[in-house]
Amino acid sequence: MEALPWWGLPLIFALLEGALCSCVGTVLLTQRRILQANLIANGVLPGLAIAVALQLDPAIGGWVSGLAAALVSERLIRSHQHQQEAVQNTVLAGALAIGVLLLALLQQRVELEALLFGDLLIAGGRDLLQTLIAAAAALALIGTQYQRLVFSGVDPEGAEAAGVPIHQLRTLLAVVTTLVIVSAISAVGIILVIALLCAPAVVGLNQASSLSGAMVRASAIGSSCSLGGFGLALLLDLPPGPVIGLLCLLLLWLPKPDQSMN
Amino acid sequence: MTSNSSAIALEAKAVSHRFGSQDVLDSINLKLRQGELTALIGPNGAGKSTLLHVLQGLLKPSQGDVFVGDTPVTSCRHRIALMPQRGRIDWSFPITALDMVRLRKPKTAGGCFEVSAEEALERVGLRERAKERLGRLSGGQQQRVLLAGAIAQNAATMLLDEPCSALDPPSRERVIALLQSLAQEGRSICLTSHDWGPALMGYDRVIVLDRQILFDGSPQDVGEQLKDLMSAAKRGPN
Repeated sequence: MEALPWWGLPLIFALLEGALCSCVGTVLLTQRRILQANLIANGVLPGLAIAVALQLDPAIGGWVSGLAAALVSERLIRSHQHQQEAVQNTVLAGALAIGVLLLALLQQRVELEALLFGDLLIAGGRDLLQTLIAAAAALALIGTQYQRLVFSGVDPEGAEAAGVPIHQLRTLLAVVTTLVIVSAISAVGIILVIALLCAPAVVGLNQASSLSGAMVRASAIGSSCSLGGFGLALLLDLPPGPVIGLLCLLLLWLPKPDQSMN
Repeated sequence: MTSNSSAIALEAKAVSHRFGSQDVLDSINLKLRQGELTALIGPNGAGKSTLLHVLQGLLKPSQGDVFVGDTPVTSCRHRIALMPQRGRIDWSFPITALDMVRLRKPKTAGGCFEVSAEEALERVGLRERAKERLGRLSGGQQQRVLLAGAIAQNAATMLLDEPCSALDPPSRERVIALLQSLAQEGRSICLTSHDWGPALMGYDRVIVLDRQILFDGSPQDVGEQLKDLMSAAKRGPN
């Protein structure tokens, strides 16, 4: 680490986060779980507030509360099956509200701007370690559950009929998604991480004929966005997180090849 | 064609099911026989898809049970293939036709009717489109990929939810001919359909369902009874 220039570690961090978020985002998109990812991103706030108050690692607090928000929403969805999106949005807003109230009640000072939008330039070895742990968890999930992810993505009813444990799979995905989101807080923050999860995945899925192919393409696009955003931010003296988010938005304007004859 | 003496592939005993306060299935007693091609028809909301889900063990009925021989269906679901309605599939998912069929192929050989994924695609006339992305196929071709998946599952019983829904008349006739040949090989096949009148003659047996079994017999026997049901359907879904 000592041998790297000041921008070296943030650059590696940006590349890794771009690839990791886009790869996991592709899985989330094909499993129709993006809204849950947004919920988790907002759900980390209460845990962060408590962890800061107890002088614990904020990442651990964020991971626990993000995952708790996802599990609470899954539980509530089972009793409100036809209002899934409404339940998820309500839990999302509720988690955010709890986080804001906790910050006020515990009288904690948290750099809200860095939390919401990230700050790549202050990323350190600890952030890189969190990213590597999240990447290992994502690779383990994809490596061991690939066929099940494909089956439940394209044909959820058929997968369930064939005995694929859908609820377990979703819980595992929520665990990994929470790790990935918490690891990305320093890079792009809990608000902008959604752009990095979604936009490269949308482009990567165009014309891909396999989930693995789409993940590889999305990861390459996500890394390029992160790298480009980081470079532009340095060049123009702007915060890197929002520039990366803006590049993700521009991705959606790329020409989309015709996918279907129907 | 079949006879009443054929072995029983699947049996539903006094099956009833409710969604909330709504009765969807009411006291269904049904035996599906080996080598028999059965059409399950009825108005929208009659419970056809729900019955298939119960027969496959995907849905636990509120009352009654389903058996394969003496074994509850929940213990041997792998022996029953379920082809979902096309609306249940994510057609934009990045997957080829061949990989889609392979998903349903059992990990271990030993099914009653060993068919490879490639052979299954061959049987539905899509071998040459095997490497094509699913979303690039026409609606009828996509429907045949789903059917190939059910064939590749090597199951003794096939439950097909509207397998002809996106097919033009010539394609529909080809699919019915294929299903007849699959039944003649010894499979028990039960499909839901919106067919009426002469189109029913392609099946061995027709069951008319409207929460309960209204009629059950040969297409000829049921034909006369259907006229009354058609009149009821014109008055609107129940």
